[in-house]
Amino acid sequence: MPVSEKQFQYVGKSIPPRELFDKVTGRFQYVGDMPSELYGKILRSPHPHARIKHIDTSRVEKLSGVEAVLTHRDVPPRKLPRRDQRACYILEDHVRFVGDEVAAVAARTRAIAEEALDLFEVEYEILPPVFDPEEAAKPEAPQLYPGGNVYGPQFGMMIEKGLNEPVIMEWGEIEEGFKEADVVIEDKVEVKPQIHSPIESHICIARWRGDELTLWTATQSPYEVRMSIAHALDMPEGKVRIIYGAIGGGFGSKYIERYQPITVLLSKKANGKSTKIVLTREEELCHASRAGAKIRVKLGVKRDGTITAIYLKGFFNLGGYGNIIGGCGRFGEESPCLTYKYQNARFEGWDVHTNHITSQPCRGVALPTLTFAMENVIDQAAERLNMDPVEFRLRNLPETDTMMPVKPHKNPIYPRAELEAYPAQQILREVAEKIDWERFKGHQQPVFVEGSQSRGLGIAASQGWGGFCIGGFINETVIINNDGSVHILSGHTDLGTGSNTTLRQIAAEALGISIEDVTMATGDTLIGHFDMIGARGSRSMTTAGHLILVAIEQAKNKIRQMAAPLLEVEPEEIDVRGKKAYVKGDEERAILLRELLTSTVKCTVGGDPREWLLIKGTMWPMVAQGKKTRNPVVAASEVEVDLETGVVKPIRIITGNSPGRMINPTIVRGQYIGAAAMTLGMALWEEFKYDEQNSVYEHASLTDYKVPRAMDVPPIENVIIEEFVERPLDVGGPYGARGAGELAGLGIVASIANAIHNATGVRVRRTPMTAEKVLEAIEEKREKKK
Amino acid sequence: MIKSKSSGKEKRIEAEMITVATTRKIIHLVVNGKDREVEVRPNELLVDVLRERLGLTGTKIGCEAGECGACTVLINGKPNLSCLTLAIECEGKNILTIEGIGDVERGNLHPLQKAFVEYYGVQCGFCTPAMILTAKALLEKDPDPKEIEIREAINGVICRCTGYMQIIESISAAAKAMKGNARE
Repeated sequence: MPVSEKQFQYVGKSIPPRELFDKVTGRFQYVGDMPSELYGKILRSPHPHARIKHIDTSRVEKLSGVEAVLTHRDVPPRKLPRRDQRACYILEDHVRFVGDEVAAVAARTRAIAEEALDLFEVEYEILPPVFDPEEAAKPEAPQLYPGGNVYGPQFGMMIEKGLNEPVIMEWGEIEEGFKEADVVIEDKVEVKPQIHSPIESHICIARWRGDELTLWTATQSPYEVRMSIAHALDMPEGKVRIIYGAIGGGFGSKYIERYQPITVLLSKKANGKSTKIVLTREEELCHASRAGAKIRVKLGVKRDGTITAIYLKGFFNLGGYGNIIGGCGRFGEESPCLTYKYQNARFEGWDVHTNHITSQPCRGVALPTLTFAMENVIDQAAERLNMDPVEFRLRNLPETDTMMPVKPHKNPIYPRAELEAYPAQQILREVAEKIDWERFKGHQQPVFVEGSQSRGLGIAASQGWGGFCIGGFINETVIINNDGSVHILSGHTDLGTGSNTTLRQIAAEALGISIEDVTMATGDTLIGHFDMIGARGSRSMTTAGHLILVAIEQAKNKIRQMAAPLLEVEPEEIDVRGKKAYVKGDEERAILLRELLTSTVKCTVGGDPREWLLIKGTMWPMVAQGKKTRNPVVAASEVEVDLETGVVKPIRIITGNSPGRMINPTIVRGQYIGAAAMTLGMALWEEFKYDEQNSVYEHASLTDYKVPRAMDVPPIENVIIEEFVERPLDVGGPYGARGAGELAGLGIVASIANAIHNATGVRVRRTPMTAEKVLEAIEEKREKKK
Repeated sequence: MIKSKSSGKEKRIEAEMITVATTRKIIHLVVNGKDREVEVRPNELLVDVLRERLGLTGTKIGCEAGECGACTVLINGKPNLSCLTLAIECEGKNILTIEGIGDVERGNLHPLQKAFVEYYGVQCGFCTPAMILTAKALLEKDPDPKEIEIREAINGVICRCTGYMQIIESISAAAKAMKGNARE
């Protein structure tokens, strides 16, 4: 039963999210807008690596207005499980980075809490630190954890021990592949941590009533917060209520973190009084980041442009408590390893703890980093073969129905399968056309020079996994009310991306009713609609949307059963749309739902953990076997480089993506532009600076840490190719939709680097590509020429 | 506290600590067109008076150091950072916050608010009040700004979600709508 485009009332329409009315009038209530009885502050470590020998809190406790003090001696003996991260204690006597949590205090005013921080007396035993992930991977390095600093490649909430092994993804025989190659390129890149910097800092308010806890917090992953806190405090999950309806930006930073259970324990010690902790901007900029990484890539190509082999070895800096998804991310479940038809490949990712700030996934996780590393050598290969960068990529890009990877995996994490609806080559062509690639004169030949200003073009391809759809992750309930209107209980989290609206559009479309007749409850764990991983991976709309359509189909079946005897036909002959049940092809033979229903019709779906294990060649477990759904990604940039100062000015950026079918085009476009701007900041300006000698962060304000402002960001245009497979409504992505959130950000860093090379002839191999680094590379080249 | 070279040491905290005992002072503000009398400490920040005393939480706090722009309000029509402004400096001044724009009770939005909804110049919404107020001041000065002028005007307000394109489109659309209204 393929869906026909003609009948769409809401799919493909840019309906403004309902909450925008509250957001533009200042009435939308964030956690920070709520009052609290007490204010908490966290004492943070001044040392990168130390053991706490002694903490004296007597002076803190004597300070008038202080109502609770917390040290590692007061926390439960149970660890805090965190998805994809080592479980850790809420506080412990071992600190692992400058800024790590040491103790906490709650007081009647924020000023008193601040003052109290100075009254803690802490005696540390200084331990040797290690900052470089490659060094930290060595057995002789200072150990942050018993059993070693390498963390991987296992997976699970309660895994506390690393395996001291890299994540490996491999097919074919790379040695054979390099032998076949006419040209071999080897290079390495280094990526600095990027700080998520949502404008709303991490924030929560905890309050106890008896043995029941309520936590208001800005989080992308409420059920993870609930599960972790309930486990650590040894209490039933149902007694932990998380309210999370308003989030002022997350970008991968807002999951479970220690500040939340710290607030919870402070409140408990203060007889349950509401207690608020909000991170200062300085704390916000010095506690978690996109992982820094050092990556080496070796690429073999034949003279005709065929890529025979790739070997990538990366060290990802997890910092003190990092997240493995924020490390190499298990190579994004094959992406971007499947960007090209690599004949033979080995990807080796070392996720390593160091005494840096903690890595957290950040928009696109490791994909922008990996794409930068890979496209750097791809561009060099095109140059060595004297091929146009676009032509070289076209020769190697897979397309719809290409079997990927080219040879079977050695360790079959995922079976080989054909790419489905994968217009990579078309996207690349259209992006090239849009940026006017005809102006490209050749490698190292700028498209335009005037005085010291030199303009260059750069292009990059990638692949994303975004918008995956696994029912086991999430619960959705569709309730058909007595009057035929619909109420949805949804486990997903709307991060400010408008996913609540997109989901209401999907439901209204499928039921043939007005979007005003679709309401949704989310934002409160009291509805008990679990979501295993929260709003991440560009998958809120695809996963929740798919499950809502499954639930709607089940609800319709229930209604068909009820209506069949009254309409005197078989249930299969009945359609349910527009608040009525009617005989297919004869809408006159109908019964209104408000006359048919004596109670609500309710269907709950999802949450079957077995579905997580059912991945057979596709991210859509219910879809045709032997197919992979991946997102082809292209980015192109035009930059102007000042050869005297090294300043890089982005002139234009084009993103190229395939969102399947767009449910709400304006929202999709907003996601693409936002992701591109954020990774542009990573490429050029956002510089994490840590003075290892003096243990000082030098980037700890928004003046020093330069997130893109309106004058920095050039016009960002989008090539969007809607390609999808028509399927029954309850199968696969909703109406053929795929994710959008991160997917325009994967190739930006790489395309900027390649554009700088085109403009200047130099390759900048470290991010951010600040004027200083670009000038250094230009001067190095000039020296060599002499 | 983290060791950092951050110079944006919060004025609020220092101020609060020094002057717990300092005498309070009554000041008069015109907030969103209404006369308000507030008793403040001499070091109290405007953002705190607005949010905590007057309950106008539409004005946001993002950095407390005058860097992110989320706390922008209009003082006598001009954008100001309320996290760097002492309340007593505002004696007798006109203060406009997001709550003072449009007629929400009657469901009438200001053309800027309408455009931000229609053109999706909002994602998480945390910078939105500051963006709209900044744009309002711009359009009052220049009803027909060029794209670059819009970018210049909002450069002090950081948006981490949108990449600014749809914000700029919203402001341009509002400018057109307002010119249309003016002609009628």
